[in-house]
Amino acid sequence: MAEVGEIIEGCRLPVLRRNQDNEDEWPLAEILSVKDISGRKLFYVHYIDFNKRLDEWVTHERLDLKKIQFPKKEAKTPTKNGLPGSRPGSPEREVRKTLDLSLQPASAQASGKTLPIPVQITLRFNLPKEREAIPGGEPDQPLSSSSCLQPNHRSTKRKVEVVSPATPVPSETAPASVFPQPLLFLSSHLQNGSARRAVAAQPGRKRKSNCLGTDEDSQDSSDGIPSAPRMTGSLVSDRSHDDIVTRMKNIECIELGRHRLKPWYFSPYPQELTTLPVLYLCEFCLKYGRSLKCLQRHLTKCDLRHPPGNEIYRKGTISFFEIDGRKNKSYSQNLCLLAKCFLDHKTLYYDTDPFLFYVMTEYDCKGFHIVGYFSKEKESTEDYNVACILTLPPYQRRGYGKLLIEFSYELSKVEGKTGTPEKPLSDLGLLSYRSYWSQTILEILMGLKSESGERPQITINEISEITSIKKEDVISTLQYLNLINYYKGQYILTLSEDIVDGHERAMLKRLLRIDSKCLHFTPKDWSKRGKW
Amino acid sequence: MSKLSFRARALDAAKPLPIYRGKDMPDLNDCVSINRAVPQMPTGMEKEEESEHHLQRAISAQQVFREKKESMVIPVPEAESNVNYYNRLYKGEFKQPKQFIHIQPFNLDNEQPDYDMDSEDETLLNRLNRKMEIKPLQFEIMIDRLEKASSNQLVTLQEAKLLLNEDDYLIKAVYDYWVRKRKNCRGPSLIPQIKQEKRDGSTNNDPYVAFRRRTEKMQTRKNRKNDEASYEKMLKLRREFSRAITILEMIKRREKTKRELLHLTLEVVEKRYHLGDYGGEILNEVKINRSEKELYATPANLHNGNHHKVQECKTKVPSPVSEPEEENDPDGPCAFRRRAGCQYYAPRLDQVNHSFENSELAHLDKLRYRHCLTTLTVPRRCIGFARRRIGRGGRVIMDRISTEYDPVLKQIDPEMLNGFSSSSQTIDYSSNFSRTNASSKHCENRLSLSEILSNIRSCRLQCFQPRLLNVQDSDSEECTSRKPGQTVNNKRVSAASVALLNTSKNGISVTGGITEEQFQTHQQQLVQMQRQQLAQLQQKQQSQHSSQQTHPKAQGSSTSDCMSKTLDSASAHFAASAVVSAPVPSRSESAKEQNTGHNNINGVVQPSGTSKTLYSTNMALSSNPGISAVQLVRTVGHTTTNHLIPALCTSSPPTLPMNSSCLTNAVHLNNVSVVSPVNVHINTRTSAPSPTALKLATVAASMDRVPKVTPSSAISSIARENHEPERLGLNGIAETTVAMEVT
Repeated sequence: MAEVGEIIEGCRLPVLRRNQDNEDEWPLAEILSVKDISGRKLFYVHYIDFNKRLDEWVTHERLDLKKIQFPKKEAKTPTKNGLPGSRPGSPEREVRKTLDLSLQPASAQASGKTLPIPVQITLRFNLPKEREAIPGGEPDQPLSSSSCLQPNHRSTKRKVEVVSPATPVPSETAPASVFPQPLLFLSSHLQNGSARRAVAAQPGRKRKSNCLGTDEDSQDSSDGIPSAPRMTGSLVSDRSHDDIVTRMKNIECIELGRHRLKPWYFSPYPQELTTLPVLYLCEFCLKYGRSLKCLQRHLTKCDLRHPPGNEIYRKGTISFFEIDGRKNKSYSQNLCLLAKCFLDHKTLYYDTDPFLFYVMTEYDCKGFHIVGYFSKEKESTEDYNVACILTLPPYQRRGYGKLLIEFSYELSKVEGKTGTPEKPLSDLGLLSYRSYWSQTILEILMGLKSESGERPQITINEISEITSIKKEDVISTLQYLNLINYYKGQYILTLSEDIVDGHERAMLKRLLRIDSKCLHFTPKDWSKRGKW
Repeated sequence: MSKLSFRARALDAAKPLPIYRGKDMPDLNDCVSINRAVPQMPTGMEKEEESEHHLQRAISAQQVFREKKESMVIPVPEAESNVNYYNRLYKGEFKQPKQFIHIQPFNLDNEQPDYDMDSEDETLLNRLNRKMEIKPLQFEIMIDRLEKASSNQLVTLQEAKLLLNEDDYLIKAVYDYWVRKRKNCRGPSLIPQIKQEKRDGSTNNDPYVAFRRRTEKMQTRKNRKNDEASYEKMLKLRREFSRAITILEMIKRREKTKRELLHLTLEVVEKRYHLGDYGGEILNEVKINRSEKELYATPANLHNGNHHKVQECKTKVPSPVSEPEEENDPDGPCAFRRRAGCQYYAPRLDQVNHSFENSELAHLDKLRYRHCLTTLTVPRRCIGFARRRIGRGGRVIMDRISTEYDPVLKQIDPEMLNGFSSSSQTIDYSSNFSRTNASSKHCENRLSLSEILSNIRSCRLQCFQPRLLNVQDSDSEECTSRKPGQTVNNKRVSAASVALLNTSKNGISVTGGITEEQFQTHQQQLVQMQRQQLAQLQQKQQSQHSSQQTHPKAQGSSTSDCMSKTLDSASAHFAASAVVSAPVPSRSESAKEQNTGHNNINGVVQPSGTSKTLYSTNMALSSNPGISAVQLVRTVGHTTTNHLIPALCTSSPPTLPMNSSCLTNAVHLNNVSVVSPVNVHINTRTSAPSPTALKLATVAASMDRVPKVTPSSAISSIARENHEPERLGLNGIAETTVAMEVT
């Protein structure tokens, strides 16, 4: 039994949580942060193997102090540094990660060489040592051609791995404490279930331990120019930069029109606003204000009653507005800030210029109220037709998400392209997309009529063309629905009774549909317009 | 299991898949296991999140029930809805327009203040409203302006007063309130704003910094050629854009002037109306007075930036150190940045205001700031007022100005002016055969023009005089040869003076023509001179006595630069004479014909000064009487092969015949310099010398700063170069200036 005062970041213990069936559960959780409000301690807990959106501040009454696991002593330093790094992980996954580690040196070496020029000189010093350090690790092969021929974009990608975890929170970095004990650090992290961060740390650390003699160099390489994430796309692919700040929700509550929203994730609203109990947003321009009075005043000046873009679709009360992230920056940014509250992987690192925003609204006498939106790169190199997609929580589970998805494919149809959402998908994203794909594909399969007694047949490419769903997504959906079977030397599609029944029932519920006749959209060729 | 031993073919997306339904469905138990042949598609989720409890539960529930059960939904934080004051907050209704909503991008930014008042402000406002009236919007605008004007540092009350167009008391009250509020404010601004990135990269990992600019790295392509080409294109584009800007600015100025004119006209008409000047008598009266005054008020200023440097360089004062703020702020108002470690001179104010004692020469005094009395070494004569500037490639260009005093000045014996020059300072940047003199000494007047001279001196007119080469003076041959030259010159000068006298009256410069005879004499003279020079050089080469040579700097220099110098003087001589007169081509019949009857010729014919047998002549004709600017461009010869010979430009097409197969007998000459007068517009096309010639020229220039003189050992052919005729008449400069390049 531990005292409340002993609980520190990194501790793990069961925390009382009420599930959706109103039952009490005691899932294992990790303490991410501790704060003291007028003598009362509050603990920010992450329920392991639950989504971050359920993380919350709890009082000590909800903690089961009997079963507390303290983090290893060595982990203290990084914890203080704000790097508990506790991405939840099951034991099996940790093992997998440790295996990954053994492969790491090679890539570390490669990455070392491909850093951009400014750091190059340091690397020259480091390289030979690194090579010695790798026992029998292909001494000649990597250095030769790869280093000079690596194109730039690749190097930046690699660089992300190299940056040591000591960087994210600037204030605390203490090179002396981190650098002499890489192994201890690593193991403690593994115990902590934070293997992910340790992996990311490894290359940088490796270099450090190898160049004890050249201390300056090593420092230089770690806290030198921090790398910037890739510039395409809207989602974070590499989470190694996550620090404790972005792991925690920072906005208590948002008021938007008739609704109050509880944010799920961190969003970089101005820091001084994070302490407010409620952040007030203008429902139409999404501008944020600190108080109701501010909002009131704002509304006397803001005459928007719809998203500030061009309406490209209207059927019934549902409308879609297209907003250019370059032309209407303030709205786009405000929209992104709001969306970030509900999208974990969304990145707001770069400006909104290369994106178009499609805002779905529902009209009533007060105006066009935002229901959800998706963003889309003007030019996607990877066939993405959606970057971020979100139905605002008050409208969730009412078919709007599928409507947004349907609309995004409708745009792709007009463009004459197939498309796929940008990865990674969130859990809700995966469910929504799978559901949309399943229904869309089943609709087609069931609509096929046999001609002259022949069994109806269709190719995957045909499905893809009709629906604008990318081929890979078609295949994965067919697999997921278990429709593809191998029979008599060929692949067949089988529609079982319960699949058909289930689909028909689902389609009865799906009342909101996009009517392509109501879409007034001409795609632009962005490549010809200069850069965005 | 034997069934697994065969491999299923890969799934082919282009192959038709037959669809089996319901009863048709074959018994699939046999083939289920083979499904693995189809590679499992990734879900697209992050691995760790994929295994989250709720998702897995939801997925398995879907797979089992084919339908979502309520309990299997992924839970999310609950959000209460129904803000009860919504209707009070969002007042009014919005009617859905029939048409699709289409917004104009420029309507977006309305001029509303970004600052929104809060309840604290409201209290203040209520308090203030007891004394004066202030509306919330007014208050917000004030705060907005204050916020936007101050960055890290708050604006001062003084600045605030400038920013806000309000009552002083109100400003004070709001300002004090704002300062207090700003100090208590947690954020960097009262208008909450997203944190901006910093250029130095210190914010790269700041989670609160968002929407960074995408700075794309310049891609260095393998194809360098392409890069260079595009770089050049960019440069060109830039230049063209800046030209466009200039044009637009000029248009702006013109339009402004037009407007001004209109206003003035209006005013004049009004005034006349009030005076009752219906017949225009008063106007005419006034006009006459004005025009008389204006006659010599027209300043001969050239705004080409190449102002002749006056010699009082010693008094230069270092400019005060610029404010650090100015230096650090890269986005400041001035594009010019001082270089670190570079000492700049302060603007010279003392030159601006000079008083003159002699009212008679008042306007001359004006001129002397830019122009000075100039003499040429060869021919020894005074050419009146000119200013010298360094042109392209270090050429020395004389911009001449015609004044009423030209006729007298022209007759001044340059020797007499020598007296002035003894105490003069040598200007370093100029070529070393020339000198600008500030004359403070008196000298004896040998001419009847002593009065004028003394006047000039009293005005401290600067006299520019090419330095004499001692060598030349010491040479007896030279002396003899100079005599006829001088006589010729004298004649010409008088002729030219008459013409120039006219010029000053009617604004048209007319240069007197000369006869063929004169021209030939001149030619011969030149050739002789050059020979002499060469002889001298040879002498010198033997004796290596270059110490008495002109410039101290040149003392140690090699013989080649001596040559250059001598040649230079020859060229100068030549050029000068060429300018003064419009020579007539000697051997070309057609040219002769063309020339006859042209008295208003400004163009200059340039013979190549090489040998007696000079076959090629060129003629420059200008049919435009307004043109009086003549620029002499020395063409650079090539050492071994060709000479670029004179080019002339005229307003008529350059069709003058030219013999290219001449000058072969001039081989004995080792070094020849060629002077070619060219009538050039401002946008003169560069005469492109051959690369070797250029190199030579630079060598020469580096040795003793004689601009571009190229010795040549053999002359085999003549290269011709035509300059496009360009009309000078358009140019106001041309009316008063005679541009001349001397090498």
